[in-house]
Amino acid sequence: MRSIVEFIGVTRAYGSRLALDDVHLALEPGELAFLVGPSGAGKSTLLKLINREIRPTTGEVWVDGIAAHKLKASRVAELRRRVGVVFQDYKLLPRLTAKENVALALQVGDLRVSDEEASERALDALDAVGLGDRGNAFPHQLSGGQQQRVAVARAVVAQPPLLIADEPTGNLDVDTAWEMMDLFGDIAAFGTAVLIATHNVEIVKRLQRRVLTLVHGRLVRDQPAGRTGRLAWLASS
Amino acid sequence: MAGIVVKGRFPRRRVVQVVATNVFRYLFQGAARNWIRNIGSTTPALGSMTLLLLMLGLIGLSGFALYNLERIEAAQASLLHVYMRDGVASADVDTLWDRLANDPRVASVGYTTKAQALVRAQRMPGLTQLADATDSNPFPASLDVQVKNIDDIAVIDSMVRNDVAVDPIYPTSYDRGAYQRIQAVLFGVAVAGFAFLSLLGFVAVTVTMNSIRAAIHSRRDEVTIMQLVGAPRWMVRGPFVVEGAITGGLAGAAAGLVTFALAMAGIAAGSGSFTRFAPGVTVVVAALAATIVFATGLGLGSGTSLVSVRRHLES
Repeated sequence: MRSIVEFIGVTRAYGSRLALDDVHLALEPGELAFLVGPSGAGKSTLLKLINREIRPTTGEVWVDGIAAHKLKASRVAELRRRVGVVFQDYKLLPRLTAKENVALALQVGDLRVSDEEASERALDALDAVGLGDRGNAFPHQLSGGQQQRVAVARAVVAQPPLLIADEPTGNLDVDTAWEMMDLFGDIAAFGTAVLIATHNVEIVKRLQRRVLTLVHGRLVRDQPAGRTGRLAWLASS
Repeated sequence: MAGIVVKGRFPRRRVVQVVATNVFRYLFQGAARNWIRNIGSTTPALGSMTLLLLMLGLIGLSGFALYNLERIEAAQASLLHVYMRDGVASADVDTLWDRLANDPRVASVGYTTKAQALVRAQRMPGLTQLADATDSNPFPASLDVQVKNIDDIAVIDSMVRNDVAVDPIYPTSYDRGAYQRIQAVLFGVAVAGFAFLSLLGFVAVTVTMNSIRAAIHSRRDEVTIMQLVGAPRWMVRGPFVVEGAITGGLAGAAAGLVTFALAMAGIAAGSGSFTRFAPGVTVVVAALAATIVFATGLGLGSGTSLVSVRRHLES
C-alpha cells in the first residue's frame, strides 16, 4: 500500500537554526497519528511541509504521490486539494455562513461543482459533524467548538486522502475536545489519514493511537498505536 | 412502445454554464464587492489615475493638433511667394515663371493675381479688417513657387529677389529660420509634455500599487484561507487584478468623457479658429482619443495591480 505521506531525510533550516533535522516517517491511509513535542520542536514546520507552505532545505516530502519538495508554486493548489487542514483558530471566512464556508472548499477546488451540488454536499458534511441545522449561521453566531466542527467539515468535504490538524483542540473545552477527537477517529475510519499536532497529554494518552514525538527538530520516538507509553516530556512542557 | 420521453439538458452545456457562473462569482463579483468595500483606500488611486488619464487625453489631442500644425507649417514653408512689383510687364513675369518652372528644385509654379490675393487676405484672421480698410487693393500679385526640398528655399529666394519683375521692397515671403523656430518650439513642447506625463504616470502607478498592497494586507486572512483550501493562483490573484481594472476603467471612463467633452466644447465654441489652431481635431478624433484614454486606464489599472500582486502576494 502506498503511503499517503512520506518524509525521506527531511531537514528544514531557518537561517542557522534547524527546525527539522533528518526526519523519516510514513503515514498510511486510514491511520490516525499524533504529532507531539514541546513548543518549537518543529510540529508546525512539519505540517507546513506537508501542505507545501514551505519547502524542505534537503530531503523529500511525498504527499499522495506528489513530490511536494519540488512542486512548482503554480501547482501547489493541486496538492492542497488533497490535504484537508484544520487550525487552532478555525480560519473561517466571517462574511460567509457555515454552509458557504464549507461549499467554498468544494467550488474553489473544482469549478464544475454547481451551487446546488455544493450546497447539498456542504450540508451533508455539516450533518456529519453534527451541525446540520446550523448551516445558515455565520461564524460569529457559533461557539468555538461549533466553529471548529465547521472547519473540519470544510477540510473533509472534498474527501481528501489526508487531514492535518494543528492544535485543533487548543481553544476548546475538555468535553468539546473529546467530541472533536471522536470526529477525527470517525474520519480516519473512513480511510482518510489524519495527523494531529497537539499538546493535549490526556487525549494522546487515552486514545492509544500512533504517536510521533519531535524534540529540537528530531523525530525521537515513533510509537505505534496501543503502545503510547510514557510521555514525560509533555508534563514539563 | 409507449413511454415518457425525458429530455435532459446537454451535460457539456450545463458544465460550461456552471464553470462560467463560478468564474464570474469568484473573479468579478468578488472583485466588485471588495472594490466597493475598499473604496476609501482606492479613492486616491482613482483620483490620481483620472488626473493622469485626463492629462494624457488633453496632451495627446494637443500633440496631435501640433503634429498637424507642424505638417501644415512644413508645407507652407516650402511654398515661396514671390511678390510682383506694381505695374510689372507680363513678359517679365513670364520670363521669371519660365526660369522657375525649369528649375529642377521647383515642383510647381502658380500665379496669384492682386484680386485673388485680396480675397485670400480677407479669409485670414487679423487681415480681414486691413483688407477691407481701403478702397484700393494693397496686396501684390505673386508667383507661388512650391519647392521640392525645404532646404532649397533660401537658394531660390536669393535667385529671384533681384529680378526686375519682383517687388524690391518686399520681394518674397521667405523668413529665414521661421520653420526651424517652429520645429524647436514643438520639440520643446513635446519633451515637456512627455516629462509631465511620465511624472504623473509614476505617481499614479505608485499610488495604485500601494492601494492594491493595502487591499492585499486587509484581506490577508481571506487570501490565506483561499490558498489553504486549494484555490488556484488565478482565483486568488485574479480578483485583485480585476479590482485594479475597475479602478483604471472608471478613471479612464471619467477622463475619456471629460477629454471628449472638452474637445467638443472647443470645436463648438470656435468652429473657424479652432480648426486653424487645432487642425485635425474632429468629433471622430475626439471620440477615438476618449476610447484610447479608457483603454489605457483599463490596461494601466490591471497591469499595475498584476505587478503589485506578484510582488506582495505569496503563493
